[in-house]
Amino acid sequence: MVYFILKRLIQSVFVMLAVALIAFSLFRFVGDPVSQMTGVETSVEDRERLREDLGLNDPFALQFYRFSSDMLRGDFGFSYRTRQPVSEMIATRLPATLELGIVSLIISLLVGIPAGVFTALRPRGFATQAILLTTLVGVSIPTFVIGIVLIFLFGVQLGWLPTFGRGGTTDLGGWTTSFLTVDGWRSLILPALTLGVYQLTLTMRLVRAEMLEVMRSDYIRFATARGIPYRKLHFKHALSNTMIPVITIIGLQFGGVIAFSIVTESVFQWPGMGLLFLESIRFVDIPVMGVYLVVIAFFFVLVNLLVDMLYILIDPRLRVKEAS
Amino acid sequence: MTRATRLRSTTLAALMSLTATAGMAETFRYATTTDPQSMDPHAVSSAPVLSFLNNIYEGLVRRGRDMSIEPSLATSWEPLKGENGWRFNLREGVTYHDGAEFTAQDVLFSYERASSEESDVRSWFAPVSEVRVVDDYTVDFVTTSPNPLFPDSIANFMILDSGWAEGNDAARPARDAENFASRNTNGTGPFTLASRDPGVETRLTPFDEWWDDDMGNVTEAILTPIGNAATGLAALISGDIDFIEPVPVQDIAQVSGRDGLTVVQGEETRIIMFGFGHEHDALLYSDETTDVNPFQDARVRLAVAHAIDVATIDRVVMRGLIEPASQLVPAGISGYSEANADRPAYDPDRARALLAEAGYPDGFSFGLKCTNDRYINDEALCRAAASMLAAVGMDAQLTTIPVRNYWEQLRADDYDMYLLGWSPGTFDMEHPVRFLLHTQDDEAKLGSWNFGNYSNARVDELLPQIQQELDPATRQGMMDEVVEITQDEVAYVPLYTQPLIWAMKDTIDVTQRADNFFMLRWVTVN
Amino acid sequence: MLWRLWDSDGVYAFRHSPAAIIAASVAILILGGALFAPWIAQSNPYDLSSFSLIDGLLPPVWQEFGDPRFPLGTDDQGRDMISAILYGARLSLLIGLSAMVIATVLGVSLGLAAGYYGGRFDAIVMRIADVQLALPAILTALLIDGIARGILPPSSIENLRVVVLTIAIALSLWVNFARTARASTFVERNKEYVQAAMIMGQHPLRVMFIHILPNIMGPLLVIMTVDLASAILLEATLSFLGIGLPADSPSLGTLIRIGMQFLLSGEWWILWVPTLFLVALVVSINILGDFLRDTFNPRLR
Repeated sequence: MVYFILKRLIQSVFVMLAVALIAFSLFRFVGDPVSQMTGVETSVEDRERLREDLGLNDPFALQFYRFSSDMLRGDFGFSYRTRQPVSEMIATRLPATLELGIVSLIISLLVGIPAGVFTALRPRGFATQAILLTTLVGVSIPTFVIGIVLIFLFGVQLGWLPTFGRGGTTDLGGWTTSFLTVDGWRSLILPALTLGVYQLTLTMRLVRAEMLEVMRSDYIRFATARGIPYRKLHFKHALSNTMIPVITIIGLQFGGVIAFSIVTESVFQWPGMGLLFLESIRFVDIPVMGVYLVVIAFFFVLVNLLVDMLYILIDPRLRVKEAS
Repeated sequence: MTRATRLRSTTLAALMSLTATAGMAETFRYATTTDPQSMDPHAVSSAPVLSFLNNIYEGLVRRGRDMSIEPSLATSWEPLKGENGWRFNLREGVTYHDGAEFTAQDVLFSYERASSEESDVRSWFAPVSEVRVVDDYTVDFVTTSPNPLFPDSIANFMILDSGWAEGNDAARPARDAENFASRNTNGTGPFTLASRDPGVETRLTPFDEWWDDDMGNVTEAILTPIGNAATGLAALISGDIDFIEPVPVQDIAQVSGRDGLTVVQGEETRIIMFGFGHEHDALLYSDETTDVNPFQDARVRLAVAHAIDVATIDRVVMRGLIEPASQLVPAGISGYSEANADRPAYDPDRARALLAEAGYPDGFSFGLKCTNDRYINDEALCRAAASMLAAVGMDAQLTTIPVRNYWEQLRADDYDMYLLGWSPGTFDMEHPVRFLLHTQDDEAKLGSWNFGNYSNARVDELLPQIQQELDPATRQGMMDEVVEITQDEVAYVPLYTQPLIWAMKDTIDVTQRADNFFMLRWVTVN
Repeated sequence: MLWRLWDSDGVYAFRHSPAAIIAASVAILILGGALFAPWIAQSNPYDLSSFSLIDGLLPPVWQEFGDPRFPLGTDDQGRDMISAILYGARLSLLIGLSAMVIATVLGVSLGLAAGYYGGRFDAIVMRIADVQLALPAILTALLIDGIARGILPPSSIENLRVVVLTIAIALSLWVNFARTARASTFVERNKEYVQAAMIMGQHPLRVMFIHILPNIMGPLLVIMTVDLASAILLEATLSFLGIGLPADSPSLGTLIRIGMQFLLSGEWWILWVPTLFLVALVVSINILGDFLRDTFNPRLR
């Protein structure tokens, strides 16, 4: 087990380095930071001097070496756009993204699991067909359209919810949270729903498929024959057996949720990392883009690792295999 | 109601309500598309930064509601005697937000700071050879040659307190890492910075000790950048914010049709135009015309002007909000040539005839490069123009790219014809002549945005004379000549003046200035 | 022969699933419309002289000011909406299908090999997959676009935008195929028929593609349909973020991006006509995917 974790940790470092390399190599294609940093009246020679000072004229390998060695030392550099330390910018935006991701995940579980169970228990019912079709339509509409439609329905027409931003946040020693104010919660609903639609559909379908499969397995049939009440049967025996694959997929999806909150954050002006990243692309803010990508990669790697470990803990057969 | 009267009445209302509601708490929430990226007035010379910081910092002179230059930290100024340059007499009794007193030392310090290598506004001081402190309230700016426009050119040169900047290790603008002045301010202006969360929210509160009284009734202003136009509009309609700018032209009817909302529109000074690769020997993007560059022929450039139907673009793409343009500045800007106010009419037959005359009876194909996120509806404009050019045989292969890649490609001569918007920073015709019409000269810092390197010896000769001429009539004569030459040679094809569109709750009074700077002191919440 | 196909399990199930029949009809209709767009559509959005700005912003024919020449109205450039969506679907499907095929070939090959060989090769492939997953699709698109810019002459970039976008989408989709193929191969590899083939000394490529592949096709087919839907949506999203196709080569995504500007302006058809069309297409593909999943996994029936 320890050997396995160690091995994966080493691999993880390589994954992150690879992401950093790929990310870094694409920056020079995004645009010219210098023309974004200077005004129209800045002379050609001043521009050139700035380019030189930023090290943009250095060979690619040197630039990458500087970037990655600084980062390994914990020095994330300064933003071209605001000249703030990048670590600070990411740190102030991280809570917004994480909270959005977690709430959307919780919504998708709270709705997705019961819906999955329901549709599995009544596979031919009208309600099942309706739910299946609705969620299918939900994942077939581009996220940005869903977001804008929600804003106009609940924010503008009905006036129930805020249209943008995080609303009231509370600062808990560097971590700003939306969870402690009513306003914060109200602001969370629409973006979390927008981001959660895809996860919700996925969770529901997964639970449904696993339930259908488990319900046909011998031990459930046996339990039915023994006269165990249906409710207990469905929720205690059947559902708990479907949880392993569901947890896996959800775990793997969480990294994706964080990365793909870019679109949602852009539509809702949600001040998270995704929005920061989009602003940075627009401005060719290379240091911020680089750190963002590495942070995202870190989340992926971390969640992957946790899921693999969970597997081994849950499924004894894998433990034996790893040991041999 | 015409724009002028609307503006006047807005201003009037602002003045009237000034006395009525003073003393009540008026929070004003507003949104723009971009966050000012720095709080340092010398670090970045971009419009969002300068516009925002004009609420906090002040210069020696400032622009009034009608863009005219008026006294600010200097109460008066006059040309120096016996040498080139200007003397500024400073206002006495002005204090910074932290209580420090404003003196001539601060002007000298701010000059040194703003003209340093780390500064992004140092081009403003290219003509200055020396700054002398005469006494505590008198400063001389010595220039290398007569410079009648100098006071106009430093309206955005903002003054910092030398003690504050030096004491906080911010004696030079931040270039790599931020410094104290990147996120903190200490100006003399009407508002102080209450809090700042970059990219999320910035709060301002009025400065009670401000020397002037031309002030609305905002007691707290909250700026939120909202990048997505639809989101911003939704926030305005739902009442989450009080003011947004800019509003997409296609949404104006919707906004002004709603109860409780109003739109204020005017013209920016930005001229939208097409430029050409005058120096290119061949077309880059043509399928068949690869050995010559038809755009070197003025008749072909004139054909472009005749082929584009600005009236239809106005009606469909810009919803009737634009003013057709004949030259590189709009009417009303000093130096505008009344004598050359006509622009080529929409006349596709004439365009075809001109093409045939130039030796392209069957037209030709070429590449048109445009931005898609820089000017109002720039992409739609270029698609429409491409379609109109195709109708006379000029088959444009259109490329639209974000502005972050755009200038780089234009500087690399990667275009056959391109879109450009230009706003005269000094509000004088001399500005576009210097940047767009003079032959490229990196040494002298001239023609730096003349991508296609349009070159005319007479224009080059006239520019320094224009810069030094003190007599308005003689100066205008030279301007007329420049405009006439460049119209004859079709150096550019100016299309129209871009509109300025602001939307707000109808309880809000604002003053819209042609440079699109948003002055909180002119905001009144009723 | 035909009768046997008609009677087979899959077709039997299909005949008895109204949802699948409707979805298939919609998909075929759109596919047909896209395929024959040049013959059906009254104007060609690529031909700048076939439309005019004068006709811009006309509403659908049933509304006031509607023009019978343009049954579903025109966009801000005067293009007929019907022609635009037919050509748009053509481009979207072209991109979606090609991206799916590339992703399938790439992912399945890597996944098969990883599952077959295991060990170090498997670890490397899966780490590459991790790297890919950690790079959001929008970045992959930027990267590919950037590389193309770096190595190709400027004049050909615009013509290659479609290719660049397709490759970018394919790259962000192949991981699913690789993971699924790998997992299934792990299972199949230990079965007797594979062991027998290996013992008989057959070439590994032969074992992988002739013996194993047909047996793991079921789940792969499902992913193919789901990913076709994702590819079409991804193209739309990339266009929304401004790194998709230029406005003059309209895909459904580009049409929706342009339409977004008219969300509030009252010209609703510019946004909603292509959006509804896109949703209809993606929903029917997804329903077909569901159907395939159920058919290939008979235990769920």
